[in-house]
Amino acid sequence: MTTTTRRTLPISKRGFSFETIMWAFTRLTAIAMYALILAGFIGALIVSAQTGANFGDVLHWALLPNTAANPIANIVWMTILAKLMVICFMLVVSGHGVHGILEILDDYYSGATARRWFRNIVIAYAIVANAIVLYVIFTK
Amino acid sequence: MGSERNVSLFTALQYKGQGPMLTYILHRLAGIGLFIFFTTYVMALAGVSFINALYQNWIFQLIVLFCAIFHAVNGMRITILDIWPGLQRYQHKAIRIEWAIFWPIYIIAIVIVIRTAFGV
Repeated sequence: MTTTTRRTLPISKRGFSFETIMWAFTRLTAIAMYALILAGFIGALIVSAQTGANFGDVLHWALLPNTAANPIANIVWMTILAKLMVICFMLVVSGHGVHGILEILDDYYSGATARRWFRNIVIAYAIVANAIVLYVIFTK
Repeated sequence: MGSERNVSLFTALQYKGQGPMLTYILHRLAGIGLFIFFTTYVMALAGVSFINALYQNWIFQLIVLFCAIFHAVNGMRITILDIWPGLQRYQHKAIRIEWAIFWPIYIIAIVIVIRTAFGV
């Protein structure tokens, strides 16, 4: 009979180093994205039922906010909820994405200076991207 | 932690990591693809108009859908195996299940995109 050895430690024995926290952050943001996408689909179904808009049109509006007519403009509570969900989604996506990109860069660049510069650039990118998103959400 | 591996690209390409290695590489590529998509999305929100034309290109749509669906399904497998490490022994089976979930979803997406693009 062969014995199998676990290659990973159980969560209770991993401790709370920076790596563990960021590992948990990446997983939790992924789970949050699944939840927000599911909520978005349900919201899109509700909007299409209330406005008579095609489900595809609702998703088209979500993907192309500059060109497609906004079918929820007349539903105040849905507009507020949609804005809050988009803000949450953008923050979660940028947090997850920034950490993922840094993870990849760290695998290929081991120099401390290069890593510091990549970290600064990627974090600056996330701040600018989120600022643009928040500006658009609150002004358009 | 990155290290000086001294492994040439040719040697790296010969590595026979099979399923887990393929999903590892695809997860990273799909993640980079989604990061680029996120950037173009922010540009579209900021009013850069040519991005909307890019979004309406069916090849771009198929690439983004591949990245999004694969990254989501593979990410779910990684998260489940990480939260319950005892399931690591079933990793190869988990990867087969992952592909069994991914392909039907992606094929449906391909059909919808092609039908919409060519009006068939």
